[in-house]
Amino acid sequence: MTGWLLAALLAAPLAAATGCPILRAPRPCEALNLVAGAVSFACALPLPFLLGGRALFYWDGYVILDRVSAWVVLCTAIVYFLASIYAVGYMRLLNEDRRLFRFYALFAGFALTTLAAPLMNNLGLYWIAIELTTLVSTFLVAFERAAESMEAAWKYIVIVSAGISLALLGTVLFYWAGSIVLGSRYQMTWAVLAGAAPQMNPVLLTLAFLLVLVGYGTKVGLAPMHTWLPDAHSESPAPVSAMLSGALLNTAMIGVARFLGVARSARLGALPQLAVVAFGAVSLLIGALFIVRQQGIKRLMAYSSVEHMGVVALGFGFGGALGVAGALYHMLNHSLNKSLMFFGAGSMMRAYGTKDIAQIAGVSRFFPSEGALWLAGAVAITGAPPFGLFLSEFTIMRAGLKPAFSWAVGVMAVLLIVIFVGFMNQFRRMYYTPDPVAGAAPAGRVSVWCAVPMWLSLAPLLALGLWWPAGIWNYLTSIAPSLSPGLP
Amino acid sequence: MSLRDILLQIAQVAAVLVLAPLIQGVILQFEERVQRARGPGIFQPYRDLWKLFHKQVVVPQTASWLFWAAPVVAFTCMLTVPILIPVLTNYPLPLSDMGDILGGGLILTLGSFMIILAGLDTASAYGGIGSSRATMVAILAEPTLILVFVGITLLAKSMLPFVVNHLLVASWAAYWSPAHLFLVAAFFILLLVETDRMPIHSSTHIEVYMIEEGRILEYSGPLLALLKWASAMKQFILYTIFCNVLVLPWGLSIEGTALGALGAAAGLVVKFVLVGCVVVFVETAQSRLRFYRYQEPLAASFLLAVLAIAGTQLS
Amino acid sequence: MPTHQLAPVASSLFSLLTITSLLLSFVMLGSRWLKNYLYAFAAQSWAVAGLSAAVAFYGGYPELYFVAALTLLFRGLVLPYLIWRMIRRLDVNREAQEFLQPASALVAGALCVVFALAVSYRVATAFHLEPPVGLLALTVTLSMALIGFLMLAVRREAISQVLGLLVIENGVFLGSQILAPGMPLLIELVILFDLLIVVACFGVLVGYLLTRVGTTRTSSLNRLVG
Repeated sequence: MTGWLLAALLAAPLAAATGCPILRAPRPCEALNLVAGAVSFACALPLPFLLGGRALFYWDGYVILDRVSAWVVLCTAIVYFLASIYAVGYMRLLNEDRRLFRFYALFAGFALTTLAAPLMNNLGLYWIAIELTTLVSTFLVAFERAAESMEAAWKYIVIVSAGISLALLGTVLFYWAGSIVLGSRYQMTWAVLAGAAPQMNPVLLTLAFLLVLVGYGTKVGLAPMHTWLPDAHSESPAPVSAMLSGALLNTAMIGVARFLGVARSARLGALPQLAVVAFGAVSLLIGALFIVRQQGIKRLMAYSSVEHMGVVALGFGFGGALGVAGALYHMLNHSLNKSLMFFGAGSMMRAYGTKDIAQIAGVSRFFPSEGALWLAGAVAITGAPPFGLFLSEFTIMRAGLKPAFSWAVGVMAVLLIVIFVGFMNQFRRMYYTPDPVAGAAPAGRVSVWCAVPMWLSLAPLLALGLWWPAGIWNYLTSIAPSLSPGLP
Repeated sequence: MSLRDILLQIAQVAAVLVLAPLIQGVILQFEERVQRARGPGIFQPYRDLWKLFHKQVVVPQTASWLFWAAPVVAFTCMLTVPILIPVLTNYPLPLSDMGDILGGGLILTLGSFMIILAGLDTASAYGGIGSSRATMVAILAEPTLILVFVGITLLAKSMLPFVVNHLLVASWAAYWSPAHLFLVAAFFILLLVETDRMPIHSSTHIEVYMIEEGRILEYSGPLLALLKWASAMKQFILYTIFCNVLVLPWGLSIEGTALGALGAAAGLVVKFVLVGCVVVFVETAQSRLRFYRYQEPLAASFLLAVLAIAGTQLS
Repeated sequence: MPTHQLAPVASSLFSLLTITSLLLSFVMLGSRWLKNYLYAFAAQSWAVAGLSAAVAFYGGYPELYFVAALTLLFRGLVLPYLIWRMIRRLDVNREAQEFLQPASALVAGALCVVFALAVSYRVATAFHLEPPVGLLALTVTLSMALIGFLMLAVRREAISQVLGLLVIENGVFLGSQILAPGMPLLIELVILFDLLIVVACFGVLVGYLLTRVGTTRTSSLNRLVG
């Protein structure tokens, strides 16, 4: 049953990606992509429930479906579905109907690679899937053929490819370390690696882990490797930004989490966790600093992504059942929330015709309902109750209250407050400026296609904030031991 | 400390003294022939020295004691270094533990240093130009030379050139090891620089390119002869180090007989002619670099020396 | 590899090819002309392909012959050809401005090699690395990665950045051939094709850069700040 669901999950975006260049007309392409998004979501939703305790393997052991990958696939599918709905309305505003089929083909291809990456069991195939996501999304970032988009796409592909090649080096070193223990030919899967980890050379494993952390950390957007992120996320069309922030960063983070699990199985001491925590703290710091003084609306959201990936990294770094559960819950909430924020930002950008925060004013007057949604999303994304991010951040902070990491919890608390103040200040400027700037009445309206996904993302966010179901709690807390099978 | 060893020691110094102008002549003749000119003949440096020794010395009024001392010191240094390195024999001769590789390098530098001072001594403009440019090249080249010597030392785990020679003859793996090949490449570049071949060719009388000639412009007569002979001997010594220690360590006399020594001297000439051919070929294939780009070949040489030292650690 | 006792000939051959590729990356670092980078990169790819074939022969991994042939074809011929086409289309010949003079870049590269040696030594002393070729391979892989990053950082021309990236990939491939030759064939092949796709994407993007931004000099890509 799960095998069929998985196949349908991957086949739908594949069909959309291959069908759009054949169809070529914009409206059918939109419809095809939307259907693919719905099918993917429908297939991904039951997967976590259908999984029992053990992982399932398909395609000769190359595809793994365990609790972690099912969860991440669910997050990705949600974002894909919502972004597909939003894209219908948004892309019509761009007047690019002739090229629109390319957009949808690339979009579906991007979704396919992002859905496939967490399911890869083999380390090499995982790397290839991540590389493919980079390649496909570069052209999405460059879709609006402006000079800024080209610059953003160039920075994206160069920095991320360079980082990913470091990750490849780390993977090769992991393979080498394994080959000393297991013989020179073996299947390099997560389970095999984690099982052999205690016998592998600790110095080599530390080096390999650090390389992988920096490499995949570049893809996740951890500071100081985040420099591509604000440009790419702000210059791409809003549905693509939502996918990049909500889906792609998660799939790269999973790689880091799995490698961290291997490192913990190998008992390398405190260094791997400390490294992840340090990167997380620096990301929070960078996010906080740049949010406070930000001037572009989409760059603001992008730095918020940097900050939240820092929080997720802190969660995984703190470790333990609580930390991992908090981090994974945070991934889901962040996906929902960041999609909401990018949808709102994209709509406002198109309506006001500018990306500058200073020139967007009086949102609450001109857009009552969407504005309220967006403001609620802003409150949510800074970690305030009663939304889901508050619960996940709180859990992560609880996980961090061990003697080794309490400094990080303090830093996290302070920076979250700074981010709250800074972010809310930006929104205050947009919503409640006393005298409206002359000529700022927005030209555009927000279409229903753009408004519906915003409702659809806020509702679960609110629900998950008020109620963390026991089933999900048990599900998530059982993941931590599965990442590090070597530990008792 | 037998008589034979002392004679061999004297023979080494004599070989350097006598054969240096010959090698200089051969290289200049090759250069001319490659450029399709007739060339002055390979014995021309001997004729030049003969002519200079029969000329009058003209001393500038602004010269001091340094003017007389510098050529003598330089010449003496060049006579000292052959005692320390394997020229004819591959076993150390009596006085050769006076200094090791580093000591030999320092004595060579002392000779150049004295000539630089002499260029400044006469307060002429051309002397100043020549000396300052020579100093700049020395600043770039000397650290690399020291690193090459360090590399040689690490390769053979000893500071005596004779040990290096034995190692390279005995072990094929050591000869072809990356460290040795890098050292050869680094030293080759330094050879080109120190003997004023392209791309740093400066034995011209044109002011813009003057380095070597500027320093000795004020000299005449026997003093000039001594300086020219000293520079020819420096070239010979560097070639000796290059061949007998690094590249072609074979062909040295093992027993120390007279026939062996003569054979080694002949072998020396043959080896130098070979290296000279390569040098002339490299020189003809390039053009002179701008002064500010002298750092580039020297940086490459530095890099190769560092790689050689890294290579010695890796095996 | 550590479990094998390599014949001295094999060991010297591996060392020679490894060092040749390191030297070629220095040639790339120190040259001013884009065509020179490209030829050095092509030669480096051939050296790495030769290394792969040598590992196949001496180590007994027959599938690596296939990998070596494909590496020679793709990394050694097709990739340089694609980049050559990019260069010709863009009509750029040299780096007019660098952040770092070639001579200083060479010295910085030497420092990278020393650092890589220190790291590899630390790793290798933790367990007895039987043939020193393993230590050499790890050093050269790390140095080529660092030199590739150096090229990415100090070059202002888009094509040079692509070549820097490819140097890093060559280094990783070299490391994987000597240290982990038993990696599944599928992975090696897919990585190779992936590289091809990467360069094709770069080619398209460079074309866009030229038409939309007007220049391929990355120093003029400074519109997005903050």
